[in-house]
Amino acid sequence: MTIRRFCVLGLALVCLFGLVAVAQGPVTITFWHAMSSRHQPNLQKLIDDFTTEYPDITVELSYQGGYGELQQKINAAVVGGNPPTIAQVYENWVTPIVEILYPIGPHMTEEEKGDIIDGLVRSNTYNGVLTTVPFNKSIMVLYYRKDLVPIPPANWQEYLDMSKALTVDTDGDGTIDQFGTGFRPAANPEQFLNFLVEAGGSILSDDWSEVTIDNSEGLRAMEYAASLAPYSLITSDYMSSAFQANQVCMFIDTSAGYYYNNQAAEAAGCEMGVARIPMGPVNQKSMIQGTNLAVFDMNQTQAQKDAAVVLARFLLRAESTVFWAQMGGYQPVTKSAYESEEWESWVETHQYQQAMSAQMLDGFSQILHPNYGDIRYVIATAFEEVMLGEASPLEGIKSLALELEYLLE
Amino acid sequence: MIKQHILKVGRRFSIPQEWTSRSYWRETGLAYLYILPAFAILSVFVFYPFFSAFRLSTFKWTPLTSTFTGWRNYEYIFRDKYFWRALWNTFYYVGINVPVTLFLALLVANLLNKSLRFLAFARTSYFLAYITPVVAVTMVWQWLYNWQYGLLNYFLGWFGVSLINWLGDKRFALPAVIIMSIWRFVGYEAIILLAGLQGIDKMYYEAARIDGASGFQTWRKVTIPLLTPQIFFVFVISLIGSFKVFTEIYVLFNGTPGPLKSAETLVFYIMRQGFFGTQHLGRAAAASVVLFAIIFLFTLFQLQITQKRVHYQ
Repeated sequence: MTIRRFCVLGLALVCLFGLVAVAQGPVTITFWHAMSSRHQPNLQKLIDDFTTEYPDITVELSYQGGYGELQQKINAAVVGGNPPTIAQVYENWVTPIVEILYPIGPHMTEEEKGDIIDGLVRSNTYNGVLTTVPFNKSIMVLYYRKDLVPIPPANWQEYLDMSKALTVDTDGDGTIDQFGTGFRPAANPEQFLNFLVEAGGSILSDDWSEVTIDNSEGLRAMEYAASLAPYSLITSDYMSSAFQANQVCMFIDTSAGYYYNNQAAEAAGCEMGVARIPMGPVNQKSMIQGTNLAVFDMNQTQAQKDAAVVLARFLLRAESTVFWAQMGGYQPVTKSAYESEEWESWVETHQYQQAMSAQMLDGFSQILHPNYGDIRYVIATAFEEVMLGEASPLEGIKSLALELEYLLE
Repeated sequence: MIKQHILKVGRRFSIPQEWTSRSYWRETGLAYLYILPAFAILSVFVFYPFFSAFRLSTFKWTPLTSTFTGWRNYEYIFRDKYFWRALWNTFYYVGINVPVTLFLALLVANLLNKSLRFLAFARTSYFLAYITPVVAVTMVWQWLYNWQYGLLNYFLGWFGVSLINWLGDKRFALPAVIIMSIWRFVGYEAIILLAGLQGIDKMYYEAARIDGASGFQTWRKVTIPLLTPQIFFVFVISLIGSFKVFTEIYVLFNGTPGPLKSAETLVFYIMRQGFFGTQHLGRAAAASVVLFAIIFLFTLFQLQITQKRVHYQ
């Protein structure tokens, strides 16, 4: 009975907050983002819909450049005591500044919070509180050429066998012209993280106190990556370039790259398919990428914070996240969006989305460790050394574990 | 004796005559007023960041707190194997890029100094490489270096050279950056040297001819010594610029420091520590101070050489 009362009271408070925001009169909030020109009209459309519904709230959209620039500008603004009201943020950007954020979760209904897909709740929760909410999320999937790969590989063994079979020296000059697959170890270490999680491994323990990569699961993932190396194009360039030049037949990449990869396939005169990543020994999870939304507490009026929360909740609505996914190439972030008629009919007419949606609902997120930037870098280093034959898988895992230990000190 | 000494010291510390003149103070005041805008701008954008970097190098920085850590950032970078590798790569790049570019620029300047038919066209062509934005140039070179379809490997194929993976092989990554840099800066340096060549008085050459000097002797004994101010200028700016190489690498290798970090230079290391998702501004500042010290020492050394070797007409 008491719990029920609390729920009712909580709901009433949430509604009151929403009403207060609207009842407080006109309010202007700034929204810093890193959405390039292709996404900006879609974001503007969402904001226009929002301001139609909430005419007292003015949202000043402000493009800050790429993600790197956005992070630098947010940090500089925090140092200067004048951050925006709401901004796109990666998980590890939040950890060092969590105390100056205005948690969004406590101002949402239980229904809204429960609607966020499971893989994304943990990566937006800091100190047990849902602080940020997911926004532009993508998932890593397998892209393949339909003419050369009639049925995409379902598991690790098939992926290896097919990569081997598709690696050929077409003109017989002793140099491989077509690789079965391709990797960007220095630029995209997430390709290794997929293998690690699929093998049942992890980078750190849940409380970040221990390095957990130096075990049989970690070694298995690295050994598998190394077994693919002879049949892989190893480059720092985007895979779409190699795809267009008929140099690779399949590769694992983010779903946000669909537009570019498909363009490359069309330019190469072939049809592109999308599938879930091949099943690993333990699971078939792949990494969710992209940013979340954070509301700043610093130098904002209560009306601005409330308005920003209303905006964040608006962007989580099924119709908003579905529109964003349809137009921007990202993935919906709520369960109700995936169950909506609009999304289901969209998926029916856009086959590639079936694999992306299934993969998204079975994804894992980046860890929240404040030094994730360094962690990512040392993973990329070890992954690259193994893929280029500079280190054996065992040496790679050992040196990676040492570097991670050093980072935790 | 003592009295004379006291008088001498007194004279040394006595107020200069001009200090008593009002016009002197007015002119001095005006002079300071003229340099004030430049000084204010330099203070904000150069001096303050310069000293701030020194200060930052002794702090552990986060957006909300900065903790004084003394020399820990320096300790970290000196223990970091990637710092030493970046330092080695930087010296490797500077050591080859600067002299080779200067030598080629000298050759090109001499050629341009002859009365060629399409001199204006040749000068423009050489300078075009320099004035074209570095990102655009680098993206073109990215294609030239493509191991399978690049023009460079195609031409090398005529001489029986097998395909070189310029951007994917750790042995060739830094040489690829050096070749592109040489191509880019030869024209610029040549134009400066050409201006110097054209400023040399003809009478020196006539005197050399009358004395029976050969073409090479004239070049070595007349041209080069009288060109030393321009050579020195080009050498200094090229050296400082080469120590700061970054954009070419960043674009050529798509934001990575080349295969197995084989093209990571000191500025790339600084950027990586401070800005590529890592935000270790203290470490980045410490590495910047080291880079400053290196460039400063080289510049001092060059100034010593200048006094002995540079001849002004």
